[in-house]
Amino acid sequence: MTHRLALALLGITLAYFSSAFPGLAHTGEGYGGGFVAGFTHPILGWDHVAAMVAVGLWGAFLGAPAIWILPVVFPLVMAFGAVAGILGIPIPAIETGIALSAVVLGLMIVFAVRPPIWVAAVIVGAFAIFHGYAHGTELPATVNAFAYAVGFVISTGLLHLIGIAFGLLVRWPAGRTAVRGAGGVIALAGVAFLTGVA
Amino acid sequence: MTRAWRLAWLPFLLGAGPAFAHSPVPGLEGFYIGMLHPFSTPAQALLMVGMGLLASGYASERERYHFAAFPVATILGLILGSSSADLDPAMFATAFAVCALAALAPGRVHLLAVALVALGGFLIGAASIPDAGPLRDRLFTMSGSLVGANLGLLYLFGIILVLKQRFTWDWVGIALRVAAAWVGAISLLMLALGLAGPAVA
Repeated sequence: MTHRLALALLGITLAYFSSAFPGLAHTGEGYGGGFVAGFTHPILGWDHVAAMVAVGLWGAFLGAPAIWILPVVFPLVMAFGAVAGILGIPIPAIETGIALSAVVLGLMIVFAVRPPIWVAAVIVGAFAIFHGYAHGTELPATVNAFAYAVGFVISTGLLHLIGIAFGLLVRWPAGRTAVRGAGGVIALAGVAFLTGVA
Repeated sequence: MTRAWRLAWLPFLLGAGPAFAHSPVPGLEGFYIGMLHPFSTPAQALLMVGMGLLASGYASERERYHFAAFPVATILGLILGSSSADLDPAMFATAFAVCALAALAPGRVHLLAVALVALGGFLIGAASIPDAGPLRDRLFTMSGSLVGANLGLLYLFGIILVLKQRFTWDWVGIALRVAAAWVGAISLLMLALGLAGPAVA
């Protein structure tokens, strides 16, 4: 079986080599550049990363149905924030709101706050507006808008997933401590963003 | 033939280059162009994916209403639409509504879901009207769009159904809802970019 598999793999490799088309490299613009710009935008901003991971962590900490409701609500509401940013509708204190989201969500995890699901959704949704607004206003003019939107929505969702995956440790006592500790780190990072230290 | 050898054929199929053969029926190439048309722009592709996610959320006895409404609405769109109309904003808005329903209330509010799928089908049909030209060519292209849109929805629905049946974990349903939320968010962003003007979009 291993021998046949090796032969098949060799056949596949040779076939790929023989059917290669010329590589038409891109210039960093268009779909590829747009996707990369959108995908990296939430990742390269530590305030965004902290808050997105906190959403996933808190969702996992609260358990079902919050574990999926929060990551579903966040991108939908975030898009409204991005719409406001793109259309130039003024929303005050965007950076403060983003930093505050890390503080509040971090503290929710530290103190194991378990509000009704609709309250959790409203809190997360309110902060999503600030994050979406920042993404919307910072959309680079040179990149493909569709690819940028796809990139930053997927990136945001994957950051939630990281938070959820880490948050699943709450099943074990030591994991619960670790998750609450991570919430504390996020809250402290939020304070640093808020005060301008970071 | 072993599974491994069957897989060895795959790269030949994936690496196939374009065939420059003549069309056996004059004008038939328009049919194939029309078949791909429902997935040829971001607005249409997002709407089609959203409708697939929405329709797959309903129990099997209710799915038939979606598949009855969609082709009828697509035909109406092909008849009543105009090739010069800019339907992207309407399609992005409908895609957002479809995805929001699929993400927040899958399998519920059935009448609204059927209405949204019908609206989506109408828009896909109306967006598939070719520019002026010989009637025969236009009919070929529009027929292709009708078939492509319906087959596309059927395949999307089928793929999601197979996923749900083969993997019965709760996570699959959650992942589909999250995917619907993502597609909805992208649609709303594209709508805003379109409304903000060509300088941004």
